[in-house]
Amino acid sequence: MDGIDLAVQPGEIFGFLGPNGAGKSTTVRMLTTLLKPSGGRAFVAGYDVFKEAHQVRQAIGVALQDAAIDPLMTGRELLRLQATLHGIPRRKGRAKGEELLETVGLMSAAARRVGTYSGGMRRRLDLALALIHGPQILFLDEPTTGLDPNSRLAVWDEVRKLNREAGTTVFLTTQYMEEADRLAGRIAIIDDGRLVSEGTPAVLKAQVGDPSIHVQLASNEDRISAEAVLLDFGAPAAARSGYVAARLPGGANQMAAVVRALDDAHLPVEAIELHMPSLDDVFQVATGHRLEGAEDDAVAEPGAGEVAAEK
Amino acid sequence: MNTAAAAAAQYLALSRRAMFGTLRKPTSFVPSLLFPLMFLALTSSSLERSISIEGFPEVDSFLQFAVATAVIQGVIFGSISAGSGMAEDIEGGFFERLIASPVARTSILAGRLAGTAALGFCQAWIYFAVTSIFGLSVEGGLAGMLAVAIVAAALAAGVGSISVALAIKTGSAEATEGSFPLFFALLFLSSAYFPRSLMEGWFKAAATLNPMSYLLESLRSIVVAELSALNFFTALGIALGVLVVGLAVASALLKRRLAMDA
Repeated sequence: MDGIDLAVQPGEIFGFLGPNGAGKSTTVRMLTTLLKPSGGRAFVAGYDVFKEAHQVRQAIGVALQDAAIDPLMTGRELLRLQATLHGIPRRKGRAKGEELLETVGLMSAAARRVGTYSGGMRRRLDLALALIHGPQILFLDEPTTGLDPNSRLAVWDEVRKLNREAGTTVFLTTQYMEEADRLAGRIAIIDDGRLVSEGTPAVLKAQVGDPSIHVQLASNEDRISAEAVLLDFGAPAAARSGYVAARLPGGANQMAAVVRALDDAHLPVEAIELHMPSLDDVFQVATGHRLEGAEDDAVAEPGAGEVAAEK
Repeated sequence: MNTAAAAAAQYLALSRRAMFGTLRKPTSFVPSLLFPLMFLALTSSSLERSISIEGFPEVDSFLQFAVATAVIQGVIFGSISAGSGMAEDIEGGFFERLIASPVARTSILAGRLAGTAALGFCQAWIYFAVTSIFGLSVEGGLAGMLAVAIVAAALAAGVGSISVALAIKTGSAEATEGSFPLFFALLFLSSAYFPRSLMEGWFKAAATLNPMSYLLESLRSIVVAELSALNFFTALGIALGVLVVGLAVASALLKRRLAMDA
């Protein structure tokens, strides 16, 4: 870590985005009192993480990268144990455990040993364990790494709900841009132990540039004519094979005009896509290289993703 | 919940976890229970005539002579699981879950050792129950068996603390389980399988220097003769001595590990 300076506001979901080995987990381990830094200071929930570690531990919930769950215990037993470790009275701890099992959809598997759980179930149990004492701040270290898309969506829903309904502050590390984009209100990008960018996803993306329109033509012979039409709307942009592309400062508002112009020019089109600037673009601008695996993390979520139209 | 009540609840919960964790892993628990019984069956049948050798302590049978050895052997082997359980927690990350919670640090160690002690206590009764089927009589009576079980529990915690110390130091279940031959050698170089009065040379010298001999001889006296305060407290004192040393080392190593981690 090299001079990381961060402030997370109460009640926000803060995304800490970076590639493997960037220093995300190291930061979380320091903030959750698991690792002693060689220098600097950090406060969590108003407590010094080194001098007031016990108070910090009472205020936080932690779900680390590899769901560290005893495979020989059942989900219900683990929740009860975790409640006891946090000093919650027996009856209250049991009731809270049952409530969380219901919340994370593990009630039917509660009596099964965790060793028989799937990766997604383990993650959901890990999340429930981190929530047993109603923490002020929840640290989630790559909560969806290795999960299938459905399980990833389920975890996202839980995190949003928790933040919305209980006002829990969430500090989330992820290597998935989409996860940071969809969940976090504010994002910090870390690369090689250094903080390279920080802000809301919208502001960060706006800093990178305008959206771009990508047109797949029915015939490659129309390429030059199509590029000329698009030039009226914005500067040319890099396009993949078979497409022509241009920056579109007005975004979706200009789409209809582009379609009309292409039609007026008698240029048959196969597909039109509007690409909004992504956090990958932000990362690329900030670090000079792309985030490893950036193209592999797309999860279909209703109402999200790029705007596309086919003719 | 007040602090003391919370600490007691944490201690009990971690003890229970340690105990059930061992019982739910029959591959580590069953051999430690069965191997000493098989060894006892083997020695009882093959060495029965040795009890008539001049100088051999007065006993009903070799089974009566060797049952205390089986109890201690079982307890030692079983207690190594305390260390391997701790090492698995470190390897699997559960240890981090524990230290990221506001649990009292002493409960992490004490809880595991209490669970191991409880298993050691039960193991002693299992051995007495099984051997009584084959005609064992304990001269110290029920109180004598209870005394042996108490010493077994203390020794289980003591050996457990040494294996836990190894686990904290190495963080490896494999390395911790590798301590098994050391404990076996300690038992072998004692009067566990034969009375010191019939030993000679370096073996006798080693057995005389080995505190395990005195622990075993004290327990054996409870089985073959009577329950006396001297025998009980000698055995208990040695077991507690092992616990004090093991606990001191394990606590120091835990403190060092926590200081390194957090």
